Amino acid sequence: MMPQIANKPNESTIRVPFETPRLAEIAYRVLSVDQEPRRNFVQKTLSLDGDVLVVHFQADQVKSLRTAITSFFESLLLCQDTIKQFGDSPEDKPIHASTEDDAGAQSGSDSA
Amino acid sequence: MVCALGIEGSANKIGIGIIRDGVVLANVRRTYITPPGEGFLPKETAKHHREAILGLVKASLKEAQLEPKDLDVICYTKGPGMAPPLLVGAIVARTLSLLWDIPLLGVNHCIGHIEMGRLITGAQNPIVLYVSGGNTQVIAYSNQRYRIFGETIDIAVGNCLDRFARIIKLSNDPSPGYNIEQLAKLSNRYIKLPYVVKGMDVSFSGILSYIEDLAEPGRRQNKRKKPQEEEIINYSQADLCYSLQETIFAMLVEITERAMAHCGSNEVLIVGGVGCNERLQEMMRIMCEERGGKLFATDERYCIDNGLMIAHAGAEMFRSGTRMPLEEAFVTQRFRTDEVLVSWRED
Repeated sequence: MMPQIANKPNESTIRVPFETPRLAEIAYRVLSVDQEPRRNFVQKTLSLDGDVLVVHFQADQVKSLRTAITSFFESLLLCQDTIKQFGDSPEDKPIHASTEDDAGAQSGSDSA
Repeated sequence: MVCALGIEGSANKIGIGIIRDGVVLANVRRTYITPPGEGFLPKETAKHHREAILGLVKASLKEAQLEPKDLDVICYTKGPGMAPPLLVGAIVARTLSLLWDIPLLGVNHCIGHIEMGRLITGAQNPIVLYVSGGNTQVIAYSNQRYRIFGETIDIAVGNCLDRFARIIKLSNDPSPGYNIEQLAKLSNRYIKLPYVVKGMDVSFSGILSYIEDLAEPGRRQNKRKKPQEEEIINYSQADLCYSLQETIFAMLVEITERAMAHCGSNEVLIVGGVGCNERLQEMMRIMCEERGGKLFATDERYCIDNGLMIAHAGAEMFRSGTRMPLEEAFVTQRFRTDEVLVSWRED
């Protein structure tokens, strides 16, 4: 259930660029799993724009907006650090190696 | 062949373990130790874990002499535990799973303890006493579930010990329970404390309040208590530690013995952080021997929270066909032992 947000909510959009669309998609999938705590009354929407992860927050109170963004950044930074330290396989280099079963990446052919 | 990497971070320990078909390849761990008199809080613990986890993953792979491609499954603790530290393990597990293209599995922390204990000791079908800072349960296996026979109705036994250690300002290094155990060896003067067994369940919070009053008389104003005629006796810290241990361990032995009698079992396995307390093991061993049974226990490497137990339980789940889509790879503070279908045991 989405929390009820007032007509004029406090909003914030964060755009986080990644090296490649694949890495952006990894971050998107990793960070989409966790729901906002219900009593927070914050609506968090993640989306992908090529190699950019877009996160949109809506909340009734600025205070809860700040809390949600702070905890999101903690997770984001950890995910980015993990990618930095362990994502050195050839396919994580800017030239995307195409694989047969990677159907999702084919539709977004603007990745180059 | 299943080769699994496990990440555990549900409390103040962050650990990574790697296991291949029951053979331990790596088991590394860091503990967040707070100053005497202070407990560990969720936010600060998560920060500690965030700073340590990636280095530990590297160290575990190095110790196991493995490449990521050698792994079959990545396991993490799904719950129960504190949410912020749990999330640290989950985020790294999810990211590694996608980066390396390796399946991901969320593991119940209690199941991890039980399976690790069975692997290390070779106990077949024991009554399990699971005692730690967050959990106190007597467990028996039946019909694809680990069923909870008895448990605490308020705080965990380890929580009772930890909080008492904070009251008397004992060091948290290496752990408050260890320091209580050492201090208790210096005394044999037993102070009568409340003994709270309710059927198959136990309660520790009242004992803690009672011993708190003994340790620091007059610290808490108790309005209901009548002014006492008798003079306040000053007990030493060692006396209090000794008496606390004797009382609460006797309670645990009692409910474990009743579970043994009920199930007709003659094996007991102690797991969890409090399980490495040698006095608890000794008391349990005496009870087992009197019944013609056998006690199984492990040392601190496997008793105290570790990544290896998550890797092992996850490997067993993976072998029996359990899979988890990424969308379900969340964490949960409440996750009972008997919620898990034990698909890997054939008995």
